[in-house]
Amino acid sequence: MSFLAGALPRLFQGMSITLQLSVCSIPIGLAIGIAVALGRSYGGFLLSSLAWGYQALFRGTPLLVQLFIIYYGLPRFGLVLSPFVSAIVAFSLCSGAYHSEYLRGAILSIKSGQLEAARALGMGRLQAILSIILPQMLRKALPACSNEIVYLIKYSSLSYLVTLVDLTGQGRLIAYETFRFFEVFLVVGLLYLGLVTIANRLLRSLENRVHVPGL
Amino acid sequence: MSFTDSLTLIVRSLPTLLQGACITMALIATCLGVGFFLGVPLALVHVYGASWCKWVAAIYDRIFRGFPALVLLFLFYFGLGSIEGVSLSPFLAVVLALGLRSAAYQAQIYRGSLLAVGEGQMAAAQSLGMSKPQAIWSVLLPQALHFSLPGLANEYSIVLKDTALAFAVGVIELLSRGKFIVARTYATMTIYLTVAAIYLILTYLGVLVFWMMERRTSIPGLGDRAKESRR
Repeated sequence: MSFLAGALPRLFQGMSITLQLSVCSIPIGLAIGIAVALGRSYGGFLLSSLAWGYQALFRGTPLLVQLFIIYYGLPRFGLVLSPFVSAIVAFSLCSGAYHSEYLRGAILSIKSGQLEAARALGMGRLQAILSIILPQMLRKALPACSNEIVYLIKYSSLSYLVTLVDLTGQGRLIAYETFRFFEVFLVVGLLYLGLVTIANRLLRSLENRVHVPGL
Repeated sequence: MSFTDSLTLIVRSLPTLLQGACITMALIATCLGVGFFLGVPLALVHVYGASWCKWVAAIYDRIFRGFPALVLLFLFYFGLGSIEGVSLSPFLAVVLALGLRSAAYQAQIYRGSLLAVGEGQMAAAQSLGMSKPQAIWSVLLPQALHFSLPGLANEYSIVLKDTALAFAVGVIELLSRGKFIVARTYATMTIYLTVAAIYLILTYLGVLVFWMMERRTSIPGLGDRAKESRR
């Protein structure tokens, strides 16, 4: 137990990196997701096929390969990103692809008559999309997007594989120093479980907050 | 590096990479298999189990769905491996970690479809004189498994992408082989993009197979449920 007392401060240090990664990537990912979902549903042929290609590419390849391409591959083209920035770019792009698919599903479930009704009331197309479709789409996709956010928190552990010392990375270092692999990784896992549980609670209460009765 | 150089490199690396892809496929097949044979009983416990069984299943679910895949992998490979007398090969560690994890996710898929098949059918089967296990085995489960196929296709693509983590414990699968070639040739972009393309093909080929299975096993007169998607 005493070794745990020594390990915990360092694990919390790693956890703050994990949290920073998640807090930066979640909003960027969501923004990308919203843009891509709208582009794919309402864009012209070029925009919607671009959005489709982006989704297929990022949902069809492992996040780890994307991370390697961004971290190890891009410097060949003169674009050198720090591990932290590469991790955020990879996580945002990947979760953006998943978010966009859930958001698109939500758009499909909104009747097209609503858009026509908005236009009939004199709204412009963009205005109708932003103030009629967007709020409903976000509410409908929230449960699926919450799942994706929780996934992102767990998958942020991959950042350790591009030399970032996050929660998993600290765990690995401590385990190698103390040779207590099982205990250390169990504690690391439980800390992630705690993070995920808190995130779930927060997202669930957000769902209740924005819930529209009858929708 | 010129375009032709890249092309030659890709052609020369393909045999090695495709061998890695075979190992990746073997990993997926065993992980999904472990997940299936453990996931179905787990789902039955979730739906029909006694309350203490449900409790145990819920703890299993919490741990295997709450821990990141990479941490589970380290827990099995380094954690179990450090216990006296236990030695796991990297391949076995990956199969255990990702297979047991997949079981937790697959159990959720089967649970959903068991509930979707409905109470009415259970009551009907029992009124025809079937026992409860008999009704589950020959009435509910076959339908539930058919309804699970879209979810299972998703699970396939998730497990496929998670097997890339196997490189972290030294299984020489697709990504590790790519990394070896990069270490020798420094052609990072060319090789990783080729690796990504192979993963992309594997993902969509597999999803196609599941889609064909779904069509083969479709039940006339029963509508297909909306597909849910999950990584």
